[in-house]
Amino acid sequence: MTVWLVAAEVLLFALVPCGIAAFRGTPIERLVGLEMGGIVQAMLLVILAEAFHRPSTYDLALAMALLAFGGGLVFARFLERWL
Amino acid sequence: MNAATLAVTVLLAIAVLVSLICCAALVIVKDVFSRMHFLAPITCISMPALLAAVVVQEGWGQATLKTILVLFVLLMVNAVLTHATARAARIREFGHWLPNPKENIPGASTHSA
Repeated sequence: MTVWLVAAEVLLFALVPCGIAAFRGTPIERLVGLEMGGIVQAMLLVILAEAFHRPSTYDLALAMALLAFGGGLVFARFLERWL
Repeated sequence: MNAATLAVTVLLAIAVLVSLICCAALVIVKDVFSRMHFLAPITCISMPALLAAVVVQEGWGQATLKTILVLFVLLMVNAVLTHATARAARIREFGHWLPNPKENIPGASTHSA
C-alpha cells in the first residue's frame, strides 16, 4: 500500500464531519457542510488519481471542483430568499 | 526511504491533517459565519501541499499541470462561493446584506430602512 492510498483512506474520514454538518442545523449551516465536502472530494480524487497512476482521472477532480461550485452557488442563491 | 519519498509523505501528512482539522471544526464551531472561515485553509494550505507532493512525485508533467488547474479552480471558486454563502446567510437573517448603522463599520455603506 503506497503513501498515497494511506492518505486517501485517512482523508475519507474528513467526509464524516462534513456529512454531520450537512445533516444538522439551519439550511445555510448545511450548505457549508456540503461545500466543504465538495472540496474534500476534489482533493480525494487527485490523491486517488496519483495513487493509481491514471492521469486521465485528474479530470474527475477538475469536474468535481467545477460542479461543486455550480451546485453551491445555486443553493446559495435560492437560500437567500426562496427556500 | 529516500528524500523524495520523505518529502511526499510529509506534504501529504500536512494536507490530510489540515483537512481533518478544518472538517472537525465544522462540527465543533457553532456560528455559521465562523464555520465559513474553515473553508479557506483547506484550499490555501492543503491543496498547495498536495500539489507540492504531486510535483515531487511526478515532476513537471500532465499530472502536475492538471493538479495546478484543480488548485486554481478551487482557489477561485472557494472565494466566490464563501462570499455567496455569507451573503445568503445575512440576507436570510436581516432581509438585506448591507450593514446596519448601529453596527458601526467604518467606510461601509449602510442600509437605511
